[in-house]
Amino acid sequence: MEGNRNMAQSKSKSGKVAGKQGLTLALFYCQNTPESGEGERQSLEQKHGSSLRLFPLPCSGRLDPVHLLRALEEFADAAYVITCPQGACRYFEGNVRARKRLERTRDAIEQIGLERDRLGMVMNTKESPRGLGTIAEEILDTIGRLAPSPVFATRKVAKEKRS
Amino acid sequence: MITAEQKPLDEIRGTIAPYRRILVLGCGSCVAECAAGGEKETGMLASALRMAAKMEGKEALIQEKTLERQCVRDFVILLDDLIHDYDAVLSLGCGAGVQAVADMFPEVPIIPALNTEFLGETRDQGLWVENCLGCGDCMLYHFGGICPLARCSKHLLNGPCGGSVDGKCEINPDVPCGWQLIIDRLEQHHALDRLERIYPPKDWSKKQGGGPRKIIREDQQR
Amino acid sequence: MSRLKEILNQGAFAVTAECGPPKGADPEVISKKAELLKGRVDAVNVTDNQTAIVRMSSLAACALLKNQGLDPVLQAVVRDRNRIALQSDILGASALGIRNILCLSGDHQRFGNQPQAVGVFDLDSVQFVQVVRRMRDQGVILGGEALTKAPDLFVGAAANPFGDPFNFRVVRLAKKVAAGAEFIQTQCIYNLERFERWMAMARDKGLTEKAHILGGVTPLKSAGMAKYMKQRVAGMDVPDEVIRRMEGVPAKKQTEEGLKICVETIDRLKDVPGVRGVHIMAIEWEEKVAEIVERAGLLPRPA
Repeated sequence: MEGNRNMAQSKSKSGKVAGKQGLTLALFYCQNTPESGEGERQSLEQKHGSSLRLFPLPCSGRLDPVHLLRALEEFADAAYVITCPQGACRYFEGNVRARKRLERTRDAIEQIGLERDRLGMVMNTKESPRGLGTIAEEILDTIGRLAPSPVFATRKVAKEKRS
Repeated sequence: MITAEQKPLDEIRGTIAPYRRILVLGCGSCVAECAAGGEKETGMLASALRMAAKMEGKEALIQEKTLERQCVRDFVILLDDLIHDYDAVLSLGCGAGVQAVADMFPEVPIIPALNTEFLGETRDQGLWVENCLGCGDCMLYHFGGICPLARCSKHLLNGPCGGSVDGKCEINPDVPCGWQLIIDRLEQHHALDRLERIYPPKDWSKKQGGGPRKIIREDQQR
Repeated sequence: MSRLKEILNQGAFAVTAECGPPKGADPEVISKKAELLKGRVDAVNVTDNQTAIVRMSSLAACALLKNQGLDPVLQAVVRDRNRIALQSDILGASALGIRNILCLSGDHQRFGNQPQAVGVFDLDSVQFVQVVRRMRDQGVILGGEALTKAPDLFVGAAANPFGDPFNFRVVRLAKKVAAGAEFIQTQCIYNLERFERWMAMARDKGLTEKAHILGGVTPLKSAGMAKYMKQRVAGMDVPDEVIRRMEGVPAKKQTEEGLKICVETIDRLKDVPGVRGVHIMAIEWEEKVAEIVERAGLLPRPA
């Protein structure tokens, strides 16, 4: 799992990202998600710039909640995971386990005063599974409701004071 | 194994509040097995606490480390080089681990992050159940491998009591009657007549007769 | 002298009743209940912090009853006292002239108003019976040290014919009798058929020759009470037909119906071989005991 990439560097292209108030989404996804190969991933990252950071997983069941927390801690306003459809998990139960772990992690962040909705899960549809880019954009829309994470607010204030 | 559960985050935050540099210390043994204080849980707790500190605008150094076992001197001593970089240790060890660290480094305040609970087994994934009281005088053979002290709510040696109904304990329908389990097990072993014997009063002095217990083995000493 | 023991040894059908102590320090409460029971029963059980609710101690209440000329049965649970305290209370009870004891486990402390208390259970009820018998018959405490004067107590235990597992219930009864129980008072009976089956097993094992079994009864006050006992009280068997019978009469008549059922039960108990008496548990309704005993044709009590 590539969670230990240098999360501090964001790949910003232009400052403008369509209507997303500069929020950053950390998106973990099962490698079996359609249209998530190396090429598609790179073009997505180019398209969304600093708004989207992608992390492939061999199976969503391998998602370690600590990766979600580290993302929120270091750079993300929200962290989501995409799982395979119900019953379609290659490793049988990975997606079920992911849901349970996610709920527990949402409880944890709520206890420190962060909104539960900063963490989420999207289970891909069985009939016509959507591609990575489609789902990513859906999620970016969903998180648009959120305010920038208070974890970074003090950092921003500090930045503003310095400039 | 020893089981434990994490204290509510509010309680932990309240206790660590006076400290600025905190070592969040996990244990890779029993508490990792019951998903309360292992490396993963330690990482999650440290991350959550760092976020909380940032949101409060507090300057805090919160770092994590996990020892293979917190209750064994040879592992605890590995902290010697780094423990003095911190004002306090938030330990995710069981009560034994917390105290082992505290005993080795008495000058460092140590805060437990867990509530230690019972001696038990991993019955199934995500399910841990109590099955031993550490009485110091094991009678498991007599009862078909089911301990009447740990698994009967009244620790009767000549049970069941009148409250056993449908194989459940009177205190809670989720709790199996330990004596029903024993009867069923001995029936399986064709040894039910063993229970016609009156078992004499337990010698509790082996558990608490001499205060905090200890074991000394000269053949194991350096 | 234990009147209960005398009555049973004479072969008469014994009658005992329960007296619940107050949640306070007023001895008058006990006096009043004593008046309601005197002359109508052979012995009076005083419950010991029943359901783990703090009440005046059974030992004190028994002493008060003794002073009023009744024959008390000290109910003693192992939940609250270790072996030191239990043996000490045996000596104290005997010194106060109390001549009957019922050795019990006790309801789990979780049920009462002190759920944070530790449950002692140093001895269990079977071991407790053995201890009392040895104190009385050999004049020794646990461990063998001699007493300066042995206590004089008629020793009893409780039995639940309706708990599980059904076939093991008689083994448990056998253990209590083997431990030295001389009389047995059962959980209250609404399912006569099941009780009779249990009694048959007890007879088969020869237990009715070794101990006097008294069948327990509790008069129902209402259909609501019947349903509560069926659903909420562990180890109780209240058949549907009893519920239907209680529900079948208007609310105002339910008390009378409950009393009728109680008296009918006692009448049937008289005919069950091996049953040597009845134990009436009219909880906080001691005033009805006199009426029940009379209607069951059990008055006057033998001299």
